[in-house]
Amino acid sequence: MAKEVGADRLGDLYIPGGKVRKRREWRGVSDTLYDYSRWLKIMMTLGKFVIKPRNVKAMFRYRWMANYLAVPMMVDRHTQGLRGEYLRICHEEQDLIIDDVAQLLENLFRGDRRIGNDTEFSKKVVLVDENEMTAVMMGFPTLKVLSRETPSTYVSVLLNQHAAEHYIDVAQEFGLAGDVCPMPEAEAGVSIDDDAPVLGACAIQCNTTCDGSLLGNGVISRRLEKEDGIPVFQLAAPLRHREDDVQDYAAQEIRNAIAFVEKHTGVPWDWKAYFECARRVNYATRCRQEWLEMNRTDYPQVFGSNLALYTETNYMAICGRIPAFEKADRNISRLARQAFEKKKMAAKEYRHRAIIWGVQSHYYMDFLVWLLNCWGIVPLTDMLSMVSTRELKEVDTPENREIAYYDMAWLTENMIMRNRTHGGYKVLLDELWEYVEMFNADMVILWEHMSCKALDGMHGLFEERARERGIPLVWVTHDLFDPRIVSRQGVRDQINSFMRTVMREEPLDPSLEVLEDEESW
Amino acid sequence: MLSFGKTEDIILKDLKHLKYFEDLLQEANNDLIQQAQQEGKVCAAYTCENTPEPLLNLPGVFSARLRAPRTGSLEVSTYYLTSFLCEYTRALLERAVEGGFNFADCIFTPDGCSMMNRCVENMELLKTLGKGKEHFFYSYMEIPMKADDNGLNLYVVQCRNHILKPLAENYGIDISDDAIRAAVKEHNRVCELIRAIGEYRKDDNPRITGYEFQVFTLATYVAPKYLLIDKLEETLEELKTREPDAKFPYGARVLVAGSEMDDVDFIKLVEDSGAYVCADRYCCGSFPGRDPILLNEDEDPLTQICRQYMYRGQCPRYMDSTKMDARRDYVAALAKEFNADGIIYEQMKFCDPWAYEKMLGSHILREEFGYPVLAVDRPYAIGNSGQMRTRVQAFVESIGIKKIRKESDNG
Repeated sequence: MAKEVGADRLGDLYIPGGKVRKRREWRGVSDTLYDYSRWLKIMMTLGKFVIKPRNVKAMFRYRWMANYLAVPMMVDRHTQGLRGEYLRICHEEQDLIIDDVAQLLENLFRGDRRIGNDTEFSKKVVLVDENEMTAVMMGFPTLKVLSRETPSTYVSVLLNQHAAEHYIDVAQEFGLAGDVCPMPEAEAGVSIDDDAPVLGACAIQCNTTCDGSLLGNGVISRRLEKEDGIPVFQLAAPLRHREDDVQDYAAQEIRNAIAFVEKHTGVPWDWKAYFECARRVNYATRCRQEWLEMNRTDYPQVFGSNLALYTETNYMAICGRIPAFEKADRNISRLARQAFEKKKMAAKEYRHRAIIWGVQSHYYMDFLVWLLNCWGIVPLTDMLSMVSTRELKEVDTPENREIAYYDMAWLTENMIMRNRTHGGYKVLLDELWEYVEMFNADMVILWEHMSCKALDGMHGLFEERARERGIPLVWVTHDLFDPRIVSRQGVRDQINSFMRTVMREEPLDPSLEVLEDEESW
Repeated sequence: MLSFGKTEDIILKDLKHLKYFEDLLQEANNDLIQQAQQEGKVCAAYTCENTPEPLLNLPGVFSARLRAPRTGSLEVSTYYLTSFLCEYTRALLERAVEGGFNFADCIFTPDGCSMMNRCVENMELLKTLGKGKEHFFYSYMEIPMKADDNGLNLYVVQCRNHILKPLAENYGIDISDDAIRAAVKEHNRVCELIRAIGEYRKDDNPRITGYEFQVFTLATYVAPKYLLIDKLEETLEELKTREPDAKFPYGARVLVAGSEMDDVDFIKLVEDSGAYVCADRYCCGSFPGRDPILLNEDEDPLTQICRQYMYRGQCPRYMDSTKMDARRDYVAALAKEFNADGIIYEQMKFCDPWAYEKMLGSHILREEFGYPVLAVDRPYAIGNSGQMRTRVQAFVESIGIKKIRKESDNG
């Protein structure tokens, strides 16, 4: 039990076969008190949530709601071993995301025909995909933009690694092949199981990440349109997003989507609100770039799963629409600068500087914290955080209003993951090695999400490029939402074997090498 | 006594050109491709049904849809693409690595699906095509995911920039409206012949098997069309007088719907198992791939071609609700038109788009349209799969039992 970074054997906190760990981590007086105070805040958020009868009703109606009991544990997994500014940055990100998801759940159940059934509220709701940039909603400040898939599958798996298994099984029992990506598969399973809240004036779906996601939407839209009577607009974002000759099409899709929302909600587009959101998006972009600049030095500050999760939320789901994220951006930047000036480190030793590429395992999102604590591998940045850095027009002029459609289209096309998995090999294959140089990395950790066809399709060429450059490349295979295929220990073992047999190294913290966490949340 | 498909009863006299067409399908670089190239024509290879074929058949150029007949080991392509990509893409890459597609003078591939895109990108990065061909090029293109005016604009721009322009710049191909109209005329002649041949499948006791029809149809995708027309015409004439078997020798009539299939052995296996394939709704099949393209004089032909490809397209990548519903309606309408007793939904293993379409389609066709449906996934080359044979035989039996029940219910 120590205040110093890296002095503890973090693996000793695990109870073999248990859902939770033995006890909270001792981080010294100041950090422990801070961490405890944030833990209390999370408990208060949960407490406030469950005192509402409709939320209790939802707990019994929706199978996936039980996963939300694991919220404090999820934060603990991500703060493992962190001290000082790192701990505070992590809480700044995670706690805000928790507040945001709690608000999302509140709103979903308020409008849900089966729970709150607030019909007036429901008329102001526009449903969106989980994997969808919400740029097209930046000019509708009075509408509620809600994703049902985010709490039912996406966040649920972050909370409890086994959360999606039931829905994956439901989809397969219905006849879906078992080799598709388990994420849209689970989302389709929720819809087949009729386990999603029913509300909204209309819905916007998007051909977001992959063929599976696109087709999975068809299962969901069928129920929405034919059973629930909720009209759906399918927003088609071009796949070859770097090409000039697709941008007119993309912009027109945005115009059509806006017209659809206006028609079904009766709410007109608000340019003032749009440009305010654009300003916040630009601010978030500048902050992210500043963090990435720091990560190019010997003292990276905002990195790992926190960066990835926060970017996913802020860049994709928020799109400048919620001011609280601007405040969080500011606080994170302040903390990062503070730590950078003091040349602080998040682990006692940084042995390797790694670029994390590919799609991370959702059921083991805190793997990057483990990577740092166990092997001293610094995850400088990850594929999902390397998103658009283009500045949006933020001044309301007639010319900028026209450009704004292209800006929104650009953001939609450049949603996290799809901006790399689609658009040709340059954005996935070539740019990886540019980042390796830019960040002065000496290792690439390549998530191999086994049912992601777009990534699998570059498997051999990733290896060839790594060999040509003499950069160690470690494959980490997983099945995104399904730990039954590759367990968390299975994920760790791939690194452990590589580090011991190829790199001939010993772990920084041997207690973390093997953890019996198959049953853990 | 019930008789569920006695294929030994099939005594149809062989069609004169069947063997010729079967031989054409034995090689990607078939005799007619070689002949056309010797005549100075450019071979435009392509990989997806969403590529408008007439644009690849302008004067001086002909299209060849890539396939890998008699595919064997997929070791090299599995290394590059992993075992999770569909076998069609792996088979193509393997063949490309072996040098089997070096006859192509250029290749066009839309981002129809991720796997196809990655397959061709690997071909490019591994420098597998175009050896010794100075003007060889790869062309990737975006294609619409919804059928609407915006999608049409995109389709036209993409075809102009990624098909017509590179053909003109690299090979001096005439891409004028007149040239496009001439290509459509030739395309339509082939479509009319295939349609006419396929019409015989509607007969109660057809004079052509589903396998034979598939052989003729597939050849029109993989060989220069203009070199096939005379033999297709002769075949059509021959069919007019061909005697069908004395008694319909199958247990059921089925429509096969699903993903890319250039494997005639699959149809043969289905028919050998007692199910007559009366209609085909898959890539490389005749519906909708062999629909003639109707042109008027009021609008440029490129826009008209793109519009017809977009609205008739049955590819599951079309994501708008109207198109999704229309896909199942289309299958149901075909089944009705061709008097199908049941539907086989097939999906190449690891194909994401068809995994979902097969799941929904099989439920909808069964529950809303009342058809017996068999949903199967299959490898690229089926060979003589006992497992598949058993499934089809069981399906045929179940259809037969339903028929008997229905007859007894009706007294």
